[in-house]
Amino acid sequence: MLEVRDLVTAYGTIEALKGVTLSAKQGEITCILGPNGAGKTTLMYSIACILKPVSGSVKVNDTEITGTSAPHALRCGIALVPENRLVFHSMSVEENLMAGAYTRLSSDRAGVQADIDNAYARFPSLKDRRAQIAGTLSGGEQQMLAVARAMMSRPKILMMDEPSLGLAPLIVAEIFSIIRQLNDEGVSIVLVEQNAHKALQIANRFYLLDQGRVTFSGTPGEIGEDDFIQRAYLGSKVA
Amino acid sequence: MSEYAISVASNMGMIAFVALSAYVILVVGEISFGQQAYFGIGAYMSGAATAMWGWPFGLALAVGSLSAAAAAFAIGALTIRLRGLYFAISTLCFAEMLRLWLNSVHVRVEVDGEMVGPDGAEGFGDIRWIFENDVTPLEFMFIIYGLLGAVLAFLLLVERSRLGAALRMVGQDPLLARSQGIDASACKLLAVMFAGLIAGLGGGLYAHFATYIEPNVFNVMLGVHGLAYGLIGGLGTALGPIIGVVLDIGFLEGIRAIQGYRMIVFGGLVAILLIVMPRGILDETRVYRIKRWMRRT
Repeated sequence: MLEVRDLVTAYGTIEALKGVTLSAKQGEITCILGPNGAGKTTLMYSIACILKPVSGSVKVNDTEITGTSAPHALRCGIALVPENRLVFHSMSVEENLMAGAYTRLSSDRAGVQADIDNAYARFPSLKDRRAQIAGTLSGGEQQMLAVARAMMSRPKILMMDEPSLGLAPLIVAEIFSIIRQLNDEGVSIVLVEQNAHKALQIANRFYLLDQGRVTFSGTPGEIGEDDFIQRAYLGSKVA
Repeated sequence: MSEYAISVASNMGMIAFVALSAYVILVVGEISFGQQAYFGIGAYMSGAATAMWGWPFGLALAVGSLSAAAAAFAIGALTIRLRGLYFAISTLCFAEMLRLWLNSVHVRVEVDGEMVGPDGAEGFGDIRWIFENDVTPLEFMFIIYGLLGAVLAFLLLVERSRLGAALRMVGQDPLLARSQGIDASACKLLAVMFAGLIAGLGGGLYAHFATYIEPNVFNVMLGVHGLAYGLIGGLGTALGPIIGVVLDIGFLEGIRAIQGYRMIVFGGLVAILLIVMPRGILDETRVYRIKRWMRRT
């Protein structure tokens, strides 16, 4: 589904990604773990064609999208919920949803309206607040809105950059159940998380990113066998 | 209307073009201290078109605004990657370069036995179109407001469109806008170019209104005022900058009691508003509430 090969992305002379290779399979939840500064967000931006990689390739269903534009990546079915910049603050909830369908806003009005209704069915609290300015929503609601907006582009792959950041545990649980639900409906998920425990509970496959390189990959079942990862990311089991 | 009132009203109309021009760039999230440059380009080009080449007025205005738009596009293409302060400084630099360069531009041609054309720091006089065509100040004021109305109507239409929504999204968060599939750079470039066009149109009007222009007219204070009008009036709608213009020139200039202290009052007003209403009187939220209220009633 999503194939990333030897991806190198640099800010000036600093290489944030030093050749990342990973793949996300159809219908799976792929999780990317790693400490701050590992290059997780850079990887997300590079896949979504917001940053231009120096070299390497990103393929979606065997179609090369490297070096194309963000609108093109979106058309190929990649939607990104960026970290920490969730909604357009001075726009209403409904306008935010419409922003997610920006590329087909004028060509497919009926479809957009149907998708808005779907989003409200999925997130009833957003429906109550449809006319509210998005900046006045709570953090959790903003995250819901961000997910709903990303779904408006009818993505095949939904990439989420730290959706649990700064949210209360109950809200985090809700977000994760929504991610699982979307996945059950057939959307492939690429999830960047610092909350390793939570992420590994729902992930089919995970990659460990450190200083711009993939240092480990496997299934969550394999992680217990690796002492180092256990200690570094999940804390010691034996206190 | 008295001659004084007509002249104040005309000045208001013409500076409103600079205000709208600065506003368009504010909408896409950048600050320009250099919109006076495009006002100047429009003034010089359309002034030259009527006075030196004998072109009709309408064509001269078109040439002035299109040259300003072309210059804005060229500068925009170079500076579009800059953000925030860096973009602001680059606009100021370009405007100052242009102003200083105009001080040394001497292009004089003979028209009807007299030399006309830009004469460096001496300025560019004898833009006599309104005298030659017997246009009264009142008529010229109507021309100004007709064109201003057209620009304003166009901006209000764009703001209701998909493009307008895209421009606002880019202004709020370029990265988030890009992840919705919006070409943020193209949006910015379009805004910069259109801002140049608006300023150039205003400049063309100004050259024919004043009949004499000199490089120092297009100094940074003109651009700063244009910018301040948007920040006072509000960034939520194109009507905002107009409110700013009316407040400053119409109101402050009108109150004779504060004559001489106008800039002090104006500066204070900007400072207070930036604290109390950071995005102006008609900011996005207020515009949204007003729209909702109007839909209900």
